[in-house]
Amino acid sequence: MSAQHAAGAAAPGRPRPGPPAAGAVIEAAGLSKRYAGTINALDQLTVAVAPGVTGLVGANGAGKSTLIKILLGLLEPTSGTATVLGHDCATAGMQIRAITGYMPEHDCLPGDLSATEFVTHLGRMSGLPATAAKERAADSLRHVGLYEERYRQIGTYSTGMKQRVKLAQALAGDPRLLLLDEPTNGLDPGGRSQMLELIARIGTEFGISIVVASHLLGEIEQICDHLVAIDAGRLLRADTISSVTGVSQILLIEVDEGTEKLAVELASRGLAPARHQRGLAVQLAGEQTYDVVRDAIVDLGLPLTRMEQRRHRLEELFRDDAATAAQLTGDADVR
Amino acid sequence: MSASASAAGPGVPASGGVIHDIGYRSYAGTRLGRAAIVRALTWYSLRSAFGLGRGIKAKIVPVLAFVLMCLPAVINAAIVALSNDHTRQFSYDTYVPGLRILILLLFIAAQAPELVSRDLRSHSLPLYFARPIRRIDYPVAKLAAFFLALLIMVEVPLLLLYLGTVTQVHGGSAVWAQTRELIPGLLLGVAWAAVLAGLGLLLASFSGRRAFATGAAAVFFFLTWTLASLLIHIGQGELGGSQGHSLALARLAGLISPFTVLDGFRLWLGGTTPGQVPDPGHYGPAYGVMLAVFLVIGAGGLIARYRKMGIA
Repeated sequence: MSAQHAAGAAAPGRPRPGPPAAGAVIEAAGLSKRYAGTINALDQLTVAVAPGVTGLVGANGAGKSTLIKILLGLLEPTSGTATVLGHDCATAGMQIRAITGYMPEHDCLPGDLSATEFVTHLGRMSGLPATAAKERAADSLRHVGLYEERYRQIGTYSTGMKQRVKLAQALAGDPRLLLLDEPTNGLDPGGRSQMLELIARIGTEFGISIVVASHLLGEIEQICDHLVAIDAGRLLRADTISSVTGVSQILLIEVDEGTEKLAVELASRGLAPARHQRGLAVQLAGEQTYDVVRDAIVDLGLPLTRMEQRRHRLEELFRDDAATAAQLTGDADVR
Repeated sequence: MSASASAAGPGVPASGGVIHDIGYRSYAGTRLGRAAIVRALTWYSLRSAFGLGRGIKAKIVPVLAFVLMCLPAVINAAIVALSNDHTRQFSYDTYVPGLRILILLLFIAAQAPELVSRDLRSHSLPLYFARPIRRIDYPVAKLAAFFLALLIMVEVPLLLLYLGTVTQVHGGSAVWAQTRELIPGLLLGVAWAAVLAGLGLLLASFSGRRAFATGAAAVFFFLTWTLASLLIHIGQGELGGSQGHSLALARLAGLISPFTVLDGFRLWLGGTTPGQVPDPGHYGPAYGVMLAVFLVIGAGGLIARYRKMGIA
């Protein structure tokens, strides 16, 4: 009865876009949306989203909400195709919406109803018979951590409780996929981490695939297996989180003093050190690079405080300088 | 995990938002189709038109309006029972015209916003549109619900009027005579509910602010009705007592207001009870056309309004 699909945990290292992945939850091919002939909200987006928890990241206005509306079959793309759980978004929107839960970004709750009444009503709107809707509303509200409060009017709730009700209404119809648009909007740090925990749990234990749209990379890194990064409607990268945040071929060196001297010394030994925060960064060319650096420091008698291989950070995906980003992430995909 | 989930009833203690591990139960039962969802939304909206499922405050206006509307029928029943000749006090086709118009005006202004502007104000429309229904289904369900609500407001008093009368008359022919007069009244009631439901919801759907929505509906219905009544009086007054005929102005002025259009429509179809407007004569078809125009503007306008609405 519990957690039917254990798919969430077992989806490591799927290579990025390429051919549509088998069993992909979402597939988009050449998806474009142009509003009123001016801006390209989406521009030739081709991506496949595997089961599990996927982060959809991008700055505000990058096209996240537009993509979600197209996936729900509520907005017609200017060109290109998209499928959700095997259903064509252009023609089978109703089938998609029957098995997809959607949590909007903005406030969408009436203040003068109780959470129970409202979620029950929306469960009915998802196609549940009256008694089933009541049961599932109670279940969903319990899952998001609302108990006795659920009989109170929503107008009296805190922002955190309201976000939970929004999540509960998306869960009420027992969806196979959840589309969450900025679920931590307006939450304080405590509420934020509780919401993230909850989402991670729904993804792993409930076996529901989740797409979390967010402009906060830290959150995505925390709870997602996969990441789809878009910028100005274009795909920046689609990959597993671990590969995006993996180690790079950059060695960071920090000494307490004599950074300048070390830079000169390293340059004379054939490396090309660059300033990096309080220390230096050099390109790793294999084990011997470590030896060169060690020898240089020993010869100069400098106090070494740190030497480590640099890890990629998600922020690098959105560097203004695309060339740098490409270099730092070792990724030629950035245009 | 699932056992504890099913055991945990609604009596789970409040625990300040701590998330308990109660396991997830997926739903394996039947899923209803689009038609059933639209029916559910219609029923939900019809209930909310009378404040059912809401607090006491939400019930005051609709229930009071309904009771006031039925009052003449109750009085009729008493008079018919006590009098010797058992004569019905009000006609089936116009009922009590002034009361009916004022009560319906109040009911529309108060309850049409309840159906449409609440969802606008709370921005919950995206939640409806993200469900397995089509965009048009929302306004259609609201129209159906408000039509039924107005039908209840108009027809139930007529049925009470009928029941209060026929229980006192004797003989099959007397009952049949009452029934024959009732049927046109009921059919006209359908036209009343249809015209007013569309226009009322359309006006209320222009604002999520309840006061504005109520104001828009009240001002439109009241101003047009006042203006039409005024022009009819002027038209009739100018003629003085010279002839039994009204000026064209008096005959056409009724086209301004939905209430007078409904009355002109009744007279055009052969209604004999004197009403709000003078007999339209050969302008009769204009009342039929205007009725159709109001129907199309109301229902069509509401559907168009929701078609172009963004979801976020």
